[in-house]
Parts: sequence; structure tokens; C-alpha cells
Amino acid sequence: MSIAETPDRRPLWPRVGRFLERYAIWLVLALLFVVAASLSEAFLRPVYIGNIVRQAAPVGIAAVGVTLVMILGGVDLSVGAVISLTAVLAAIVMNGEVANIPLAIGLCVVTGAAIGGVNGVLVAYNRISPFILTLGMAVVVTGITQIFSGGTARGIVSPGFREFFNFRIGGVLPVLAIALLFIAGLGIWLQRATSFGRSLFLIGSNPMTARLSGLPVERVTIAAYALSGVAGALAGLALLARSGVSSTFAGRGLEFDVLAAVVLGGTTFEGGRGGIGGTIAGVLVLVIAFNLVNILGLNFNAQLIVKGAIIIAASAAYVIVKRQQ
Amino acid sequence: MRERLTTLLGGRYGILALLAAMVLAAALAIPEFRTPSNIRNVIVQSAPLAILAVGQTVVIVAGLIDLSVGMLIGLIVVITSDVMAGQSVATPLGIAVALGLGAAVGAVNGGLNNLLRIHPLILTFGMLSVLQGAIFVYTDRSVGLTSPEFAWLANGDVAGLPASAILLVAFAALVAGLMYRTRFGSHVHATGGNVEHARRAGIATGRVEFWVFVLSGVSAGIAGILVAGRLGTGYPNAGAGYELDAIVAVVLGGTSLAGGRGSIVGTIAAVFVLGVTSNALNLLEVSSFVQILVKGLIVVGAILLNQPRRTVPA
Repeated sequence: MSIAETPDRRPLWPRVGRFLERYAIWLVLALLFVVAASLSEAFLRPVYIGNIVRQAAPVGIAAVGVTLVMILGGVDLSVGAVISLTAVLAAIVMNGEVANIPLAIGLCVVTGAAIGGVNGVLVAYNRISPFILTLGMAVVVTGITQIFSGGTARGIVSPGFREFFNFRIGGVLPVLAIALLFIAGLGIWLQRATSFGRSLFLIGSNPMTARLSGLPVERVTIAAYALSGVAGALAGLALLARSGVSSTFAGRGLEFDVLAAVVLGGTTFEGGRGGIGGTIAGVLVLVIAFNLVNILGLNFNAQLIVKGAIIIAASAAYVIVKRQQ
Repeated sequence: MRERLTTLLGGRYGILALLAAMVLAAALAIPEFRTPSNIRNVIVQSAPLAILAVGQTVVIVAGLIDLSVGMLIGLIVVITSDVMAGQSVATPLGIAVALGLGAAVGAVNGGLNNLLRIHPLILTFGMLSVLQGAIFVYTDRSVGLTSPEFAWLANGDVAGLPASAILLVAFAALVAGLMYRTRFGSHVHATGGNVEHARRAGIATGRVEFWVFVLSGVSAGIAGILVAGRLGTGYPNAGAGYELDAIVAVVLGGTSLAGGRGSIVGTIAAVFVLGVTSNALNLLEVSSFVQILVKGLIVVGAILLNQPRRTVPA
């Protein structure tokens, strides 16, 4: 998927090798799905599959934005905090009135863009580690959320907001699932068909060359982080729509779920490789794994153990498949 | 102004200068801060994080990262409290369990790191989830009771000095000696600087990374003993968030996330910068919500002023 991809020098099975490298995570997803379906017939029911995609929406939407930043060679650990802030902000602005919904959504998007923009400016014009900067920004945003909300769940979700996003079109596919697929599609278009997307890959694979070739490195960096902030805000709204909880800690720890999904999907910390398609597969692997242990009747705590084991195993399987070429 | 600040803070002793400035400012502005008992409080409260962060410094210098240490502390606190049940005779057992469990989880991390070759962030994040599950499968409420000796280690004094501070200094000196005076330390720096070059130079990089994870686990074991001693009981959420605070302290202290170089003294100074700030804000009766914000601003500000000499990818 990388533009700077070197031609495969190995003569044997080069096409198979490249196919495996690009679609390894889909192979893992298919394998996991077959295992899940053989253990429980529920995984073959369309309604259940629609439900899985709906569950994946908050983490998946945030992961689309973080993927863009990671292709660039950066990382965004502030998304969990942005999700919490926007979930609370939306509920407070809505205040139980349908008329306030557009204002709430607009404010959340602007807030996300602003936080992401600050991240982007600080990363673009300073030689600092985005890992630690966005970690610090997460603490700042958490502080703002706490001051803003007074430390408890506040605000009232407008009637109809949750009903709309959880409505199943044709009785099968929830609107929230379609929202995830739409945002992922938008991201894939951005990544593949625009000069912004190509710049991301070029800057990620070699920032120096990109700069010397006259690419607007700073502008692209700021835009990528701002988009990640917007994706985080939309993920906060998705979480509010899914669970209805506007707690100040709603998004706590989600940044690591997002990161796990992105890395599972084949986007590396070094940048220049990967993409949103793989990320979506990564998110689905995580959600199916969670549902599987749930259906097997394990309690929540045992689920955590299995979730951790699956993150490690799926990541390892991906590395092994890639090494086989 | 900013240039001068950058030069001061970006230097080798930048974080020490920041710590000195903050202590001075707090001592001048807040009379309660100057009292010996308050200073002692700051030291005793910072000791577990400082010990954990020293271990994490070695991990990051080796070019790795260990997110599992926070939950490891939680597991250690719960299990040691449970096996000791407040009995003094069980103290050696409690210490053995804490250090053994720490080393064992570190060895699993190190072994899987070599076997699977997946990114350490993903590996130890997976382990974080596994350990969190293990804690709550074991218990979902506080269990057991620590022995009086554990409480003494966490809060007591030896010859007028806090026992936990002596433990911190001893551990830090040991690790510093290991890192700067032994062949293993050179190998850790070489592996973190460029793992491929180190391997071609004949360093068994896999073995180096394995022992680095074990060391990190042991640091969580020692920190776990102090946390357990302070709490007095096995609280399942005792370790939540420690891993991030440790990483923040390591980076604030001037260690590059790219690996290859770092400072143990810097890490400890950074832990105390965070400790002094939180103590001063507490004395000023600033709400805990504002404290979170201030902590975040300090982290962001210090990172901006204390820029690394080379770019760090992620």
C-alpha cells in the first residue's frame, strides 16, 4: 500500500507474498470468524453481525483518524480523552432537547478539531515525540472534562438521538454501523485518491525527502492531527449514541484499544505503511474476540484475560503470515 | 527567553534545575511546604513511582516499552496482602511473592517478546489486559492485610531517614551501576540505539531484551511492596495508571523514546517534580480536577522546553 514500496526481489510467489502482506489481517479476521461461527451459530445471524459492527463504531471511528496520523509517522494518544470530553459536552449541550442536537454535534466537531489542531501545530513546529506530547494532552483534556462536568455524569441526551443511531435499517443494519462504514469509506478515499493521502505516505516513509521535494510537511501534519481530533469527537458522539453514558471517564483507556486495532491492521509506528482498510479489520478482530468470550459464558474479568491473549496472538499471527512470503 | 529556557532545560541537568526551581518556589510561597514532615511526605509518596520509573528507564533505553507494570503492581498488592494476612512471620513470604511474581511476569514479557517479535507496546498492552483480568478473577474487592513490616517499609524510618527513600536510593544506585559500569549496561544502550547494528556486533540482543523485561518486572515488585505497605490491604485497583506516570517521568527526565540513551537521575528528578507539584497544589487546596489540568500542562510545557536533539518517530 506504501507508495515508496520497493519491488519484491524474490522471484517465487511474489504476488502471493504481496497479497498476504496486504491482506494478512483479513485472513486473521476470516479465521477468527470461522472459529467463532463454529463455536456459536449466533455469528451467522445477520442481526448479530450488524450488532458487532455497531459495537465497533466508537473505537473504529477514532481508529480511522489515528491511522492517518500513524501513516504520517506520528501517533495520537489523546483520543480517549477527546472521546470522554465530547460525550459529556454533547450530553450537556443537548440538555434533553431535540432542537439542540445540531449545535451539540457541531460544537463537538469543532472541539475535536481544535484539540487535534493544537496537537498538530505542536508536533509540526517542534522536534518532540508525538507519543509523549499527546499523552500529556490527554491529561490536559481529562482535566478540562473534570472541571467542566464537576466530576460526575452530567447532561441529558436528547430523545431520538440514541433511537436514530441504533435504528436497524431493514431490521438488520444499525445506523451507527453505517456511520462507521461511511467514515471508513471517506478515510479510504482520502488516503488513496487525494494528494493529502499520498503526502501522508511520503512524509511517513521519509520526512526529509518529503520536505526536500517541497511537500507542505507542516500543513499536512496539522491537518492529519486535526482530522484525528474530529474522528475522536465523532467517536465520542458514537459512544454516547451506543451507551447513553456521558460519564467523565467514558473514553478512558480507549486510546489503547484504538492503537491495538491500528497496529493489528498493519499500520506501523514507523509510518509510511498500512491503511484504514486494515484498521477496520483490526477493530472487527477485537470486537469479535470480545463477543466470542462473552458467548462462551466467561465473565467480564475472564474476558479481559482472553482479550489480552487474543491481541497478542493475532498480532503474532500477522507477523508470522508476513514472514512466510 | 524561550531560547535560554530551552538551553537550561535541554541540558544534561535541566530537569534538576526545574526541580530546584519548583522546590524553591513552593518553599517560599507555602509555609506548610517547608515543614520536615511535609517534605518527608513528598518523598515517601513519590518512592514507589520513582522505583517503577527507574525500571522503565532501562526498558526505554533498550528501545522497548512496558505498559504492563501498573496492573502488575495491582496483582502483586492483592496477592501479597492475601498470603500475608497481617502476619509478621509471613513477611519474607510476602517479599518473595512480590519479587517472584514481578520477575515471572517480566520473564513472560521478555520470552514472548523474543518468541513472537511483535511490537512491545502491543505485547505489553495485551499483558496489561491479561493481568487486569487476573486481578479481578482473583478478587473484585480489597482482600487480606499486609504485615506490620510492610507498613514500616512504606512509612517507617531508619536512623531518621524514610525506609522507602533508602530503598529507592539503593535500587537506583544498583541499576545505575548496572547501566553505566557493566558490559550488560553497554549492551542495553547498544541494543536500544540500533538493534540491527548491535546484533551484527555480536551482542545477543534477544537475551538483553529478556533481562530488561525481567528488571522492569522486579521494579514493579519492589514498588508493589511499598504500595501494599502504604494501603495496608490488597486493593485491586492499586496499580491503575502507574504505567503512564512512569513513562511520563522517564521522558520528562530526558530519556529518548527512540532508545539508546537515558538518565536515571533525570527520571527520579522528574518523579519529584510531579510529586512536589501535586503536594503544593494540595496544600493550596486546589481542587483535584484543576490539579489534573495543571499536571497535564506541566507535562506538555516541559516536553516543549526539553526538546530532544534528534527527531523521535512515535
